[in-house]
Amino acid sequence: MGSLYLVSLLLGIMCMLLLDHRFRLFFWHSPKAAAVVTTAGVLFLLAWDASGIGLGIFLRGEGTVATGLLLAPELPIEEPVFLLFLVLCSMVIYTGTRKLLDRAPTRSADSSGSRSRVKDNAEARENA
Amino acid sequence: MTYLRLALAFISAAIIAGVIFARLGRAKGEGRQHWRAVGLAFAALAVLTAVFDSAMIAMGLFHYDASHILGVKVGLAPIEDFSYPLAGVVALPGLWMWLTRERDREHRQSRKYLLSQALLASRPVSWINTAYPFAAAMLLTTREVTWVLVLGTFYFLIPYNLAMYGINDVFDYESDLKNPRKGGIEGALLPPRLHRPMLWLAAATNVPFLVVLALAGGPAAWMSLAVSAFAVVAYSVAGLRFKERPVLDSLTSSTHFVSPAVVGLALAGAVVTPGLLALLVGFFLWGMAAHAFGAVQDIEPDRQAGIGSIATVIGARRTVRLAVVLWLIAGLAMLATPWPGPLGAIIAVPYIVNCAPWWNVTDTTAGGTNAAWRRFIWLNYGSGFLVTLIFILQWSQAS
Repeated sequence: MGSLYLVSLLLGIMCMLLLDHRFRLFFWHSPKAAAVVTTAGVLFLLAWDASGIGLGIFLRGEGTVATGLLLAPELPIEEPVFLLFLVLCSMVIYTGTRKLLDRAPTRSADSSGSRSRVKDNAEARENA
Repeated sequence: MTYLRLALAFISAAIIAGVIFARLGRAKGEGRQHWRAVGLAFAALAVLTAVFDSAMIAMGLFHYDASHILGVKVGLAPIEDFSYPLAGVVALPGLWMWLTRERDREHRQSRKYLLSQALLASRPVSWINTAYPFAAAMLLTTREVTWVLVLGTFYFLIPYNLAMYGINDVFDYESDLKNPRKGGIEGALLPPRLHRPMLWLAAATNVPFLVVLALAGGPAAWMSLAVSAFAVVAYSVAGLRFKERPVLDSLTSSTHFVSPAVVGLALAGAVVTPGLLALLVGFFLWGMAAHAFGAVQDIEPDRQAGIGSIATVIGARRTVRLAVVLWLIAGLAMLATPWPGPLGAIIAVPYIVNCAPWWNVTDTTAGGTNAAWRRFIWLNYGSGFLVTLIFILQWSQAS
């Protein structure tokens, strides 16, 4: 029971990596850049956590689904894992959305242009 | 500080970084698609946050001090919690776009080249000179390692130097071309096509830190950060170029090293005492003397290139004498600090001894002071060591 949260997070991370792998979105698109983005993101959010903890805003719960292991006062071991998940999730959604948007024809001029090219090809074939 | 203020600090930092990276990274016409995708991704993340944050809070994984939050909630999730995914999705895709920008090889190489140039330009050997005053000032005041200390030390270690020397290299391009000593074969000149990217990089790496540090402190921190950032820009930027205005050049140069300490004191909420003021004045005069003395060796080349400095205007002899006197007053100022501060007065002695042989230097023999300048760089390491010992003494005495 104590590791339910941690296990769910790790499963979530695995799901994100599967999506990444299947659609070549992030780490499977450009590993170096993905590593830089992930590191920067996790460190940025950790600094945010640390400042919130330092100011006494964020308090760790005594939830039974957490391991209770602490990295620092009020900072459970699950937190960096959660932040890693959040960064991966954000980037998978963003890169996926970009892929969909970039694939869809953006302007009607483009689509009519490609249609006429198709027509031209058909005509060319007929002529041949 | 409430959660909202904290969130605003980090969100503004993220937005600034995100916008700048997107500007640097977008190909023609890519900007619209990028921001549309960011918007859609945030919409999706907001829904996920509403559901899962509520679930996590319901399971008692974490909670908030009620006095620090607004109280507006979506499900169980406080509205401020949505700032995490917002900040992430605004900043990181921009960085990603910049890093993965598919272009011809020349462009990819130029990004790599820009990063290595920026790193080289920031003079890693001297990173410690700005980070140390900040860290020491803050640590000796608060006597504990806080996130502000870590963040600020990192800022004054790398991004600050990157801005200072990066901006300098961009705006020195013109004068370096004219300067026979710096230009030509030897010239480590930054190619003009990298000028704009370098300035954007300086902004992207500095503004977010400045915003977060400013929000971590009060008016005193805002003032000192503003002065510090202004000195970095004004020293070399076209139009201001304080480095070419006699006296102002030494004042600005010294501000580069003293202002991190003042920022550290302001963030730590230090009480201003006469002893502390004496210490800062001593440090400031030391920095002025160092800059002025350094300018003496460049009198000839600077004059040939038509560049002004404190040394070209008041002459070699008077500049050297001024530096000696400044070091002397700096040493005397240390005597006005509480124990063990007066020990620091000893530090002035080697500088004066090193510089004194040029008491009667002339403008034609000014180039010879280069020998003393080289020793000077080593003296700094020795002084840093002595200063550290004094700090340790102060630390153990107070605890």
